[in-house]
Amino acid sequence: MDLQDEILIPTPIETVYAALNDPEILQDSIPGCEELIKHSDTELEAKVTLKIGPVKARFNGNVTLNPEDPPRRFSLTGEGSGGAAGFAKGGATVELEQQPDGQTLLRYQARAEIGGKLAQLGSRLIQGTAKKLAAKFFSNFSEAVQVRENS
Amino acid sequence: MNDMTPDRDDRIANLKGMGCARKRVEDVRFTQGKGNYVDDIKLAGMLHGDFVRSPYAHARVKSINTDAALALPGVIAVLTAKDLEPLNLHWMPTLAGDKQMVLADGKVLFQGQEVAFVVAEDRYIAADAVELVEVEYEDLPVLTDPFAALQSDVVLREDLAGQDSGAHGPRRHHNHIFLWEEGDKDATEQVLDSAEVVAEEMIYYHRTHPCPLETCGAVASMDKVNGKLTLWGTFQAPHVVRTVASLLSGIEEHNIRVVSPDIGGGFGNKVGVYPGYICSIVASIVTGRPVKWVEDRMENLMATAFARDYWMQGKIAATKDGKITGLWCHVTADHGAFDACADPTKFPAGFFHICTGSYDIPVAYVGVDGVYTNKAPGGVAYRCSFRVTEAAYFIERMIEVLAIELGMDAAELRAKNFIRADQFPYTSALGWEYDSGDYHTAWTKALDAVDYAGLRREQADRVAAFKRGETRKLMGIGLTHFTEIVGAGPVKNCDILGMGMFDSCEIRIHPTGSAIARLGTISQGQGHATTFAQILATEIGIPADSITIEEGDTDTAPYGLGTYGSRSTPVAGAATAMAGRKIRAKAQMIAAYLLEVHDNDVEFDIDRFVVKGVPERFKTMKEIAYAAYNQAIPGIEPGLEAVSYYDPPNMTYPFGAYICVMELDVDTGEHEIRQFYALDDCGTRINPMVIEGQVHGGLTEALAIAMGQEIAYDEMGNCKTGTLMDFFLPTAWETPNYTTDHTETPSPHHPIGAKGVGESPNVGGVPAFSNAVHDAFRAFGLRHAHMPHDHWRIWKIANQLGLHG
Repeated sequence: MDLQDEILIPTPIETVYAALNDPEILQDSIPGCEELIKHSDTELEAKVTLKIGPVKARFNGNVTLNPEDPPRRFSLTGEGSGGAAGFAKGGATVELEQQPDGQTLLRYQARAEIGGKLAQLGSRLIQGTAKKLAAKFFSNFSEAVQVRENS
Repeated sequence: MNDMTPDRDDRIANLKGMGCARKRVEDVRFTQGKGNYVDDIKLAGMLHGDFVRSPYAHARVKSINTDAALALPGVIAVLTAKDLEPLNLHWMPTLAGDKQMVLADGKVLFQGQEVAFVVAEDRYIAADAVELVEVEYEDLPVLTDPFAALQSDVVLREDLAGQDSGAHGPRRHHNHIFLWEEGDKDATEQVLDSAEVVAEEMIYYHRTHPCPLETCGAVASMDKVNGKLTLWGTFQAPHVVRTVASLLSGIEEHNIRVVSPDIGGGFGNKVGVYPGYICSIVASIVTGRPVKWVEDRMENLMATAFARDYWMQGKIAATKDGKITGLWCHVTADHGAFDACADPTKFPAGFFHICTGSYDIPVAYVGVDGVYTNKAPGGVAYRCSFRVTEAAYFIERMIEVLAIELGMDAAELRAKNFIRADQFPYTSALGWEYDSGDYHTAWTKALDAVDYAGLRREQADRVAAFKRGETRKLMGIGLTHFTEIVGAGPVKNCDILGMGMFDSCEIRIHPTGSAIARLGTISQGQGHATTFAQILATEIGIPADSITIEEGDTDTAPYGLGTYGSRSTPVAGAATAMAGRKIRAKAQMIAAYLLEVHDNDVEFDIDRFVVKGVPERFKTMKEIAYAAYNQAIPGIEPGLEAVSYYDPPNMTYPFGAYICVMELDVDTGEHEIRQFYALDDCGTRINPMVIEGQVHGGLTEALAIAMGQEIAYDEMGNCKTGTLMDFFLPTAWETPNYTTDHTETPSPHHPIGAKGVGESPNVGGVPAFSNAVHDAFRAFGLRHAHMPHDHWRIWKIANQLGLHG
C-alpha cells in the first residue's frame, strides 16, 4: 500500500521539524496513540489502538528515524504488531519546504505492508482508513504546532 | 394376468423403491431448524476451545507467553506444542503420508496456522484470551508460488531437511514433495514429435475451497470413570477418525466412540483430520471435562483443506482432420505447507490420470510434481472424486484449444474422438478400465436439445453485429463431455491409511416388518436416509417409509470408509443391495417353509414370495418377518438380519454432456447465463428428484468456481479471501435456471447398476462455464485465459483483445 500527500502548515520550517521530533506533540497528534516513548533521538516506541473495519487492535510498534537532511528531509521505518489482529511494517519519507509566506509545505510518501487479520478483513477498507488516519494526524499536528507557536 | 396389473402397480408404488421421486425424509427436520449439528451439542460442564493463529505466512516462533491469557478469569488452560510434545501429539500424520504440526513447533508455515489452543469456560472468554496470548515472531521469506518454491534456497520444511525421499518416492529439492508419473512418456513424446498438429497450453485450475455452510468442529468428552472417549464431529469418515484417534492417542479402539451428527455440507472439506480435533481430545483428557471447538468462517477458509491449485501444462497431438493421437501433461501441484491431500494412499495425485476423458486416445503420459509453499495444506476432492475435476477441466480445455488449432468445430472434434459404445469395457492409455458408456448417444441428444446448429448461426450473426458496432454483447457456447471415475474403491488398489476402501451395510428386520439399516457412510446433505431406503425397498419388499437409515455412530454402524468422491452409492449402495439380497435369501427359505413347498418353488414378487405359477399362494415380507421371530422353523435360526461388506470390483464411470450458453458484456465484464443444459448418465437412477437436486447444487458450485470463487494470496502470504465478502458463494440472485436430462447406461458390475451422481455436475459444470467464456471470444483470437472468470478478468480479456477500441 502506498500513500502520498502534501499539507500546508502555517508555521516556519524549523518549528515544524522540531515538532516532528517532539514525542508529546506526536502522541497528541497520532490518532489512538496511548503512549509514545522516545528512547533516543532516532528511536521511538509507541502503543496505538486502531480500528479498521471490524478489527480493533492495540499495536506495539517501534519507529526508527533517519534525519537525512534536517530540517528539510528525513525518513523513517517502523513495524508494529497487533497480536491476533496482525502486523504492519513500512516506511516513509518526509520533505519540508519553507514557503515564501512563512508557511511550510510538508510532503510525504509512505509505503506499508500489512499482514494477518487486518490484511484479510480490512483489505477493502485499509487504504481509505489509512488516508483518513493520515489526514487526521496532520490536522491534529498542524493544530498542535500552532498551539505551541502561540503559547 | 391383466386383472393383476393395477394391484401390482399399487404394490410397487407403495414401496417407494428405486426410480421413485420420493420426497427427502431428512427435510422435515432440516426445513424446520430441527437438525442436530455439532454446535447444537451442549454437555454439562462443557468447555470451549479457540485457536491462536499465525498472522504470518512464514515465521520463526521465538516465544509464546501465555501468562496474561491464563490470568483471565474463566480460562482453564492454554496448550502449546510444548504441552503436546510429551504425548507425541505436537505433530500428526496426514492422509497423504506426510506429517503436519498440530500446534506450531518452532515455526509457522502458513497464515492461520494453529499456534496455541485456549480452553475456557465459555466461547467469549476463549476468544478474549486468544488476544492475550503474546507470540513473538521473526518473519521469514514467503513462498506462495510453486514454481519459485522449486527454485528457492528458502527451506520451508526444516523437519524434512536431508530427506531425499518421501512417502511417494524421491524428492529432488527441499520444497519438492513427489513426482508421480503414469503412462508411456517416451511413446507419447514420439507421437508429439511426429504429429501433424500439436496444441500446447498451460491450464491453471486455481485454488478454491469447499466452504460448507457449517464449518468444521468437534466436541470431545473423556469419561475418566469408564475410560471411554466420545467424539462428536463434522466427520465425512467417522470410522477412519476413530481408528486414527486410537492410533494417535493409544486409547483402545473399543473405548472410542465417534459420532457424526447432522452435517451441514462437506464437499471434501471434512474428510481430513484437523488440529482442532486433536486439541479438543487432549484438552478433554487434561481437564476431565467435555471440550467443544467450532471454527469460524475465516478459520475455515484460511486454514482447513482447500481444493485444486493445479498448474497443468498440456500437449495434445492430432491428425490434420482431427483424430487425436496422443496426450501429454505435466502438473505442478501446489500442496501448501504440509501434504494433507485426501487421496487413496497409492494415488498422490488422486485419479488425475482419468485426464484422457471421454476420448479414445492411443497414448498418453502424466507427470505430477507436488510442491510445498507457504499456503494452507489440503488438496481435497471438492465435490469431485480425487483430482477428477482437475482432469476433466484439463482435457475439456485442451480439446477446445485443439479445435482452435485445427480450425474445427469443438462439438465435431469431440464426437470424432469419443470412445464408441462398442469399445466398452475400454482400457485407457493411462490404465483405467471404463466400465460402460454411450457417449455418442448422449452427445447427439444434448446437441439436438439446444439446437446446436441454430446457436452457432446466432453466434456468427452476433459476431458480425458486434463488428458492425451494433452490440456490445458477445455470446459463448460452452461445451463439455466429461467422464468421471468414482466409487473408490477396490481394496486391491484403494486404501486410506492402510484401510481398504470397501463399505458396509447392516440390516435388521423387525418382527412387525419394518426395518433399520446402518451404513458405514455418512450423509452431509446427500439424502442417504431417503435413497438407501429406496434401494432396500426394492430389494426386500418392505416400504421405504418403514425403513430407518442410520449412519455416523461408530458404536452402532458397521465399519466403512465414509462419504466423499461419490462413493456412497457405488460402494455402500452396493453393500445395501447385497445385504438386502441376503435377507431375501433367508426370507425365501422361510416363505417356502410357511407355504410348504421347496425353496426353489417360490419366487420374489415385489413385496412377497409367491409359489411359482400359483400367484394366489404367497407370503408377504411382513408375514415372513413375523414368522422369522415367532415361529420355530427347522434348520433356520430365528431373526432376520444381514450384514454385507462390499469390495467393489471396479470404479464406476458416470458421464455427461453439458452445454452452457452465456452472454458477456464486453465493457463491464458481466455475464448472463442464458441457458444451461445438463445431461447426466449415472447408470440406474434411484431417485430422480434427489438426482436433480444434486445436479442443481453441483452446477451452482461449478458456477461459483468458474466465475469467481478463489482462495487468493498476496505476496506476503496473506489469504485475501477469508470472508464471504471476498469468497464468492452464489445466492439465488446469481444462480441461473438449469435444464436437466439423462440417458441411462447401467454399470455392469454394480449390483443395481448405479454409478453415483453427486459430483458429476461440478466436474462437468466447471469446464462448461469456462468454455462458454472462452468460446465467446474465440472469434477474436482468445486461446486460453485462467479462471476464475470474474467480471474484472472478463473485462481484462476483452481489453487485451483490443475490444475496447
